[in-house]
Amino acid sequence: MINVEHLSKIYGSTPAIADITFTVEPGEILGFLGPNGAGKTTTMRILTGYLPASSGRATIAGYEVHENSMAVRQRIGYLPETPPLYSDMTVEGFLHFVARIKGVNAGERPQRVESAMTRCNLTERRRTLIRKLSKGYRQRVGIAQAIVHDPPVIILDEPTVGLDPRQIIEVRNLIKNLAGDHTVILSTHILPEVSMTCNRVAIINKGRVVATNTPDQLTSQLLGGAGYELEIEGDATVAQTTLQTLPGVKSVELLEPGSASPHLNLRLLTEPGTPLAGREIAATIVHAGLGLYEMRRVQANLETVFLELTTEEVASEAGSAASEETPTDNTEAISEEAV
Amino acid sequence: MRVVLANILAIYRRELQSYFASPLAYVVAGVFWLLTGFFFVVTLNLLTQQIAYADSLGYTQAIDAPYQFLQAFLGVVSSIALFILPILSMGLYAEERKRGTLELLATSPVTNWAVALGKLLGVLTFFITLLVPLLFYEAIVLSASTPPFSPAVVLSGHLGLILLAAAILSLGMFISSLTDSTIVAAVSTFGLILLLWVIDTLAQRLGGVAGAVLGHLSLLKHYTNLVQGILDSSSLLLFASYILLGLFLTAQAVDAFRFQRS
Repeated sequence: MINVEHLSKIYGSTPAIADITFTVEPGEILGFLGPNGAGKTTTMRILTGYLPASSGRATIAGYEVHENSMAVRQRIGYLPETPPLYSDMTVEGFLHFVARIKGVNAGERPQRVESAMTRCNLTERRRTLIRKLSKGYRQRVGIAQAIVHDPPVIILDEPTVGLDPRQIIEVRNLIKNLAGDHTVILSTHILPEVSMTCNRVAIINKGRVVATNTPDQLTSQLLGGAGYELEIEGDATVAQTTLQTLPGVKSVELLEPGSASPHLNLRLLTEPGTPLAGREIAATIVHAGLGLYEMRRVQANLETVFLELTTEEVASEAGSAASEETPTDNTEAISEEAV
Repeated sequence: MRVVLANILAIYRRELQSYFASPLAYVVAGVFWLLTGFFFVVTLNLLTQQIAYADSLGYTQAIDAPYQFLQAFLGVVSSIALFILPILSMGLYAEERKRGTLELLATSPVTNWAVALGKLLGVLTFFITLLVPLLFYEAIVLSASTPPFSPAVVLSGHLGLILLAAAILSLGMFISSLTDSTIVAAVSTFGLILLLWVIDTLAQRLGGVAGAVLGHLSLLKHYTNLVQGILDSSSLLLFASYILLGLFLTAQAVDAFRFQRS
């Protein structure tokens, strides 16, 4: 549905995005995840035809976003970073206006506006002036204007910003309901949001896509999926060397000791694809003559992946150019697999 | 084509609607009606006094009082409009930019032309609405006049006023599309139209071919033509050119500025 190939955008001499490539299948929700200033908004603006790209190609439903801008505009709904609202209009009046300029026939308009308002829980406030709405409501009106003409592609730039926790859950459910009939791209810097709403995630940092995959696969591929946290009594090196010999163990690292506890804290990570039974680990520890006080399974979450990907870049930038190769290499392998 | 018309109409309706909700529109209308009403009475009094004075001196030469009155009054109205029009045009795009709604318009299947035209028609309609009460005053006075007034002059005078307003609003809209500050837009528009207002005075000083060319750009000169009942095609053409130029530049500016903005 959405095809982006080697997209770059350069402001003056600073690249905002560089060589971005990804695809979104019909009916999918793609999450754009990245720190502020990573190029999420720029990419979305190019996709909506608001900005031209410096180089590269992007197509939506087969139409090039810049050359066939009008055809693309008819097929997208877009919520920019700040919801584009006319404060002197009522919610209903505004949605009618948007439906009109998006080219919805007069006959269908009342029904479309009605359904957009229902979906975004706005029916009680239909006659309220937008100026008098709270921030949460404004954001919902912003989402309503993006879906009012029932576009096949919906692009949402930080849709849950400024909402309270309950509203965030509502909006996430709304977005999940859009999937299937609509193709959705949403950007966010909130990690749980991506794992909750998106089928796939593209992590973007400093204008580059550093990884794309499903949230689960991304965590398991990059950090080996699962592991255990152990609290042990005994010698650290003995514990590390014995555990290391177990098949399927990727690494055993010593964590900072807890302040009060005299025991060792270890984190054991498993190789991807080889589930290691906890029983064997426990047996090994006991056989080695060590005391086992706590054993807890840990699942690497997206947050860890995100920090790993984005901080590695920062670290490598401070270091030599050669070390920069390393993170890009391994993540590129992932993105190739995903695309 | 039907889609484009529907889009223009949608923008036009939204623009008109916003005037009903805008305190600025009411203030502008109030001030405009107050000033024009005041000057209406002043102009009328002045004219009747002049005629009475001429009568008392025993002049027997006929005076076309309704013509003289229209000349004077439309002159005053245009001067007041000079201050009012930049205030009407200043928000046309600057507000959209500030609110972020330009991003909505620019990503909707609407061409920049349609947006600009819809907006211009909207603000022009508002200005024409401002003129409606004045037409009533004029109708009352002119209906009682001897010799009877010439409808052609009245028509061409008001046509001139509307064309003048459309030209100024169109240029003002362009300036508004360059900035997100309404004050900057208003002040620059005022400066520009003041320059175009008096440019023939400057042109006369300059002389030569350049002077003649500049002289033709004058808004005042062509407006006066129409008010005097001279339906000069070059005047009509000049106003039409200003209107189209404003529309064209606006459509271009919206694109150009979007591409530059970071």
